[in-house]
Amino acid sequence: MTTLAGWQLVLAFLIFPGVVFTSFVGLTLTWVDRFVSARVQWRKGPPFYQPFADMLKLLLKQTVVPAGASKVTFLGAPMIGFAAMCVTAVLLFYVNFFPHGSFVGDLIVLVYLFALPPLSTILGASASRNPLSAVGASREMTLYLGYELPFLLALVVPIIHTHGAIRLGDLVLAQRTAGPFLYSWSGLIAAVIVLVCIQAKLGYPPFDIAEAEQEIMSGVLIEYSGAPLALFRLTKAMMFFLMPCFLVTVFWGGLTSFWAIPELLAVVVLVILIKNTNPRFKIDHALRFFWFILGALGIIAVILAFGGL
Amino acid sequence: MKDPRIWGLKKSPWVYHLAAASCNNCDIEVLELLTPRYDVERFGIVLVGSPRHADALLVTGVINRKSLPRVLEVYEQTPKPCLVIGVGTCTCNNHIFLNSYNAVGPYDKYLPVNAYVPGCPPKPEAMILGVVKALSKL
Amino acid sequence: MRDAEAGLKSLIPEAEVFEHNPKRLHISIPRERLTEAAKYLHRERGMRLATCTGIDTRAGLEVLYHFSEDKTGTMYTLRVLAPKDDPRLESQASWFPATDWIEREMHELLGIDFPGHPNLVPLLTSDTDWDREKYPLRRDYERRNEAHER
Repeated sequence: MTTLAGWQLVLAFLIFPGVVFTSFVGLTLTWVDRFVSARVQWRKGPPFYQPFADMLKLLLKQTVVPAGASKVTFLGAPMIGFAAMCVTAVLLFYVNFFPHGSFVGDLIVLVYLFALPPLSTILGASASRNPLSAVGASREMTLYLGYELPFLLALVVPIIHTHGAIRLGDLVLAQRTAGPFLYSWSGLIAAVIVLVCIQAKLGYPPFDIAEAEQEIMSGVLIEYSGAPLALFRLTKAMMFFLMPCFLVTVFWGGLTSFWAIPELLAVVVLVILIKNTNPRFKIDHALRFFWFILGALGIIAVILAFGGL
Repeated sequence: MKDPRIWGLKKSPWVYHLAAASCNNCDIEVLELLTPRYDVERFGIVLVGSPRHADALLVTGVINRKSLPRVLEVYEQTPKPCLVIGVGTCTCNNHIFLNSYNAVGPYDKYLPVNAYVPGCPPKPEAMILGVVKALSKL
Repeated sequence: MRDAEAGLKSLIPEAEVFEHNPKRLHISIPRERLTEAAKYLHRERGMRLATCTGIDTRAGLEVLYHFSEDKTGTMYTLRVLAPKDDPRLESQASWFPATDWIEREMHELLGIDFPGHPNLVPLLTSDTDWDREKYPLRRDYERRNEAHER
């Protein structure tokens, strides 16, 4: 079946694969992150229920709105990113399990949906009435300008391989017959570019420039407390699950292939290892890195894709 | 079932380090506490960059006439419920600055302190004990 | 005799040199010649100001300017005396940024006035909870201050 009835859509949005499922898996993946980081540093790490305890504690804490901050924007900004991630979850899973149901341009819709969480942090930071959060917001904006360029270039590569299909469903079907795009030179380069852009989009080292704890006291999130902060962290946890899903969908054979779960775990562990072994970039270095190094790699990948490799 | 608010606070106390006119000796020990050797993350303790994210304020240093209004301001900005843990003997009773013209007495004259950790500076193990005791009293 | 010492004595004949040990010289000068001596040691001799110290003695408020000659490792200390009833010393902050904060601290803690200082506001003591007429590092300061006592 390719269309869902109304109540099935609501169920898909709320339970599986929407809010509840993605939140649960996302929070468990953040525990995996803390566990692997702890082992890499030769220590024990938190117990498995730690992310859930964090969420519970934050939801039950007092929410402080700074005086003079725009109340509606301040409290409403986290919801934008959260809603975007919930819709993304449904879309991604639907496209993977029912590839014939995807519509023209849903790849572009997904790119826009993934752009909403950084936008919601920028909005929230600008509504905070705090000079440090303004610095964080400007850094987040600059970083976004940086990584979106090679991200889009890398996404052009699978489109070229399938001779112009901008439906995610067509990309998934093509990978089922011809093999994952990763197993070609241009696909490999594009997947590496998307991996680095995932690191930046999640705000993990070496690109945690916007939320630099030691420099600008948690930059974008400095004034947030209680439930809005919990929403921001939940959005980030959901992105930690959904962005590797996106990478696997577009480059590595889709979520219905036999190796889907190990592939997802491999991407997650790669992100964690990069996070643990790199110091932070400066914002101008990061911009130059994304535009000139990754951008050049992206162009090379596109040329290779045109050449058939 | 115990109060979920207290359970959440006990299992995931996020710590903000507030240095009020300290000689920085206790601050260095707090920094050592947060290194992988003592691994406080197994208690859920994470160092956060902003007082608004904090559940526990680790205050160090003898409180000064000049830093007193600022410490009170930071305490007001921290969302409740929040713990206050005084690290170092200077927080308990001014220590070597006892009759100084600038030191204005132990912290509990102005803030509700949950635990004091004496020592100059206290060992990281003593600080862990202090935090755990403060959490278990909740 | 060292070159710096000779040069200083030719500039200021009233200077008295006391050699504490081969690496430390104390040079007492009248307070009107302070700027000249400091400029000579810093600009012409290339010495670095290590720090300044002040103390309340029976003779008056004594301020020491410690200049370090890093080439030889010798410390040249200029001693100036400001009498208790007229505690003024010429400010060096306008040409020597290193003395800026030091003079602010001496002003609020010892009560020495530095005419010519661009910004003589208190540095360490509280802006809200402090009596400006009391100088803590003077000998006659009452150690126990009533306001915050238990």
